[in-house]
Amino acid sequence: MATTSRPGEVRDAVAGAVPERVFEPVNADECTEVMAREGGRIGFIGGGTELALGSAPAALDAVVRTGRMSRILEYAPADMVLIAEAGVTLAQVQAVARQEGQMLALDPPLPERATLGGLVATGGFGPRRARYGAIRDLILGVALVRADGVLARGGGKVVKNVAGFDLPKLLCGSLGTLGLIAEATFRLHPLPEASATAMCAGLTAAQVVALMADARQAQLEPSSGVALRGGGGFDLGIRFDGFAAGVREQVTRMGAIARAAGLSCEIVADDAAARRRHDQARVAGPLRVKLTALPARLAEVDALLAPVLAALAGGSFAWYPSLGIGFAGGEVADEAAASAALAVARASLVAAGGSLVVEAAPPGLRSIDPWGPPPPAFALMTALKQRFDPDGRLNPGRFVGGL
Amino acid sequence: MESSGADRPLPRALVARFAEVVGESSCISDPAALRTYECDALAGFRVRPGLVVLPRSTDEVVAVVMLARAAGLPIVPRGSGTGLSGGALPVPGCVVLGLSRMKRILEIDLDNQWMRVEPGVINLEISRRLAPHGYYYAPDPSSQQVCTIGGNVAENSGGAHCLKYGFTTNHVLGATMVLADGAVVQLGGPVLDATGYDLRSALVGSEGMLGVVTEVVLRILRAPQATRTFFATFPSTSEAGQAVSLIVAAGIVPAAIEMMDRLAIRAIVAATGVDWPDVGAALLMDVDGTAAEVEHTASEATRLVREAGALEVRVPRDPTERDVMWRGRKSAFAAMGRISPNYVVQDGVIPRSDIARVLLEIEGLSARSGLRIANVFHAGDGNLHPLILYDAAVPGQEQLAEETGAEILRMCVRAGGSITGEHGVGADKAASMAEMFSEDDLATMNLVRCAFDPETRFNPGKVFPTPRLCGDRPGPYVAHTAELAGLAGRG
Repeated sequence: MATTSRPGEVRDAVAGAVPERVFEPVNADECTEVMAREGGRIGFIGGGTELALGSAPAALDAVVRTGRMSRILEYAPADMVLIAEAGVTLAQVQAVARQEGQMLALDPPLPERATLGGLVATGGFGPRRARYGAIRDLILGVALVRADGVLARGGGKVVKNVAGFDLPKLLCGSLGTLGLIAEATFRLHPLPEASATAMCAGLTAAQVVALMADARQAQLEPSSGVALRGGGGFDLGIRFDGFAAGVREQVTRMGAIARAAGLSCEIVADDAAARRRHDQARVAGPLRVKLTALPARLAEVDALLAPVLAALAGGSFAWYPSLGIGFAGGEVADEAAASAALAVARASLVAAGGSLVVEAAPPGLRSIDPWGPPPPAFALMTALKQRFDPDGRLNPGRFVGGL
Repeated sequence: MESSGADRPLPRALVARFAEVVGESSCISDPAALRTYECDALAGFRVRPGLVVLPRSTDEVVAVVMLARAAGLPIVPRGSGTGLSGGALPVPGCVVLGLSRMKRILEIDLDNQWMRVEPGVINLEISRRLAPHGYYYAPDPSSQQVCTIGGNVAENSGGAHCLKYGFTTNHVLGATMVLADGAVVQLGGPVLDATGYDLRSALVGSEGMLGVVTEVVLRILRAPQATRTFFATFPSTSEAGQAVSLIVAAGIVPAAIEMMDRLAIRAIVAATGVDWPDVGAALLMDVDGTAAEVEHTASEATRLVREAGALEVRVPRDPTERDVMWRGRKSAFAAMGRISPNYVVQDGVIPRSDIARVLLEIEGLSARSGLRIANVFHAGDGNLHPLILYDAAVPGQEQLAEETGAEILRMCVRAGGSITGEHGVGADKAASMAEMFSEDDLATMNLVRCAFDPETRFNPGKVFPTPRLCGDRPGPYVAHTAELAGLAGRG
């Protein structure tokens, strides 16, 4: 037998559930063997950066770790397409692509640990999503091992392809509840020749929204924006990537637009310090919350979040102003207040078509449903889950509404 | 090709019930009038539907679906019928559910860059409505003057400019749809990252097999500050292909790069009167972005095009001239009528770096078959549109053209590409799906379909190479009365 298991340990826990057995297959074929043989409840671990996400599975008999599936299977620089096994880390991909002047346009925190399979399963992303889209917009193909051990491929390895239902995109964000993502194919992008960032400090929520609108009105094309909440308001970084001449011109105009709005922005060539602060905000804990709303509603989001942040010690809040997605987190100083404030914020965000997902929580707050109310198409989601995993063995209970 | 044998009209009482829902004038059952709906733009496939209904609201769609279900009739959704893969081909005795009268633009939110529309809205109409505000909707299929957004969602339509901006799926934020049991569900919406499975991603490109879309939430974009178009001519497709490779390798992502070979250029000149020279190949290219960026990318791309061996590089003097150039390209398929009585168009995709080799193979295929093949394609993403010219009056030519097309698709699959880049599988290429996907792959796709439509009521017979059902899990399977009567097929 190509794959044997070892006993599960605490470090193998998925959303708090420690498995009986752990498998570490080395390729997709071994995954099919494991999945066909393992009749119990299974969880999956990639780089382990989002193991707190979701409700605790009822119990797990086995965990499949993808860490040994670490080969880049195919890379065609001229076609800007890369195929890799699930356990390949994002940093590994970037290092290979960089040599060809290319990149996978994904910039979540912890690239040294985050694996491609994990990023697909959790729908991982960073600020660059503003320009390049989410992982669903970058994935071209997938090899999925179903609960019954069948290996199925979807999509392909060309950017343009409408043959059959779009399995790769459907799997993005499915949190290992439809199958094991064994391999994935991505489109790459050219590495920008130059970058520059306009850093504007101490803005109100309304000023963030207005400045982004002004930039759009001026037909500027930022590659990303991040507004970090500090004591004195939001520190907004608007980044431009591209050819040197274009970047210079854009960031200069951005500065002028800010000045015209009565704001002073510093132009920096290297925004690494802001990036670090952003990454810290994204991985802050033990409470981590993701919230979504229409971008222009930042002031309301900020007001809803104020009591949450007040209940934290050293809380942080990072907002992607063109996407309408934010991340808040920190140490919980007052559990009762945090819990109450989260409930109020969630109700209000959901009522406006958005969401509040508790991505990680300290023990005292784990009674909060991490996902919130089931989405409108929940019956359809249940039907999908039943078709792919009729016995409910894959990450049982971890996803939305107990899927 | 295919034709319908089951032309039995639906019972008058049943027709009357549909007419009660949508109104007499929106319920078509007269055999002569039904003929319009026998096919889409793939006119070789024709099947007479039992009935055509043209509802005006989500409620009417629900009522139609419930009636069809009670009567055991398959439902085939339809937009403008411009599809090139037979995706809207009726099945015998079916209800064609035409969405062309649901054409309201419901909501526009410029601040948050989205809008909500009904499925019958014409693609180009959206950008026309947004233009005064300086916004637009990116996907621009060549048929954009007539095709509907609902059809675009069904087919995941592309267009010349999807090289930089992506396909329909990258611009659909959410949808309202009616399922086979009449349930109305919302998938996604204007706010990103709705919790749960991304069912919207399964819906886009599902070719009308999952349900009926009655509203779509679209992402809209601020118009770029500058666009530069140029047209370059080459001795042959090899130099043109080399030019594309150089541009891409330089890190430039053009908004569009379209290639046309000699035969295509001749047809377009004959049809539109555009003053293009008689050359081996031409590229039509757009770069867009901020003014300074475009200044750089346009001059760099022009330099690379010359380096690759361009004979001539033309820059349009004004927007009118640019429109003429693009109209030339977008009329390429229709232009084939000027040089051939009939043609078959394929939509295969190959890795971009393989273009020159595959074009040579296609040339060889043309020589062997004796059929002329014109090539018009989206060179930036390797999406070929070989147009196989034939004369249906010559016995055997039509079949030869079909076989040649199928062989080109096999070439694309062997090269690591796809059988369809933007036209969809439909009825036309269902058989070719087995070349690209294993039985397990197809069975897994069918799981998605069965989650949405366990009775396989919507658009049966498309996409999958062999008929498939949904099995009895999770709910009990109930045979349609029409199926039992041998009236409706399943697929």
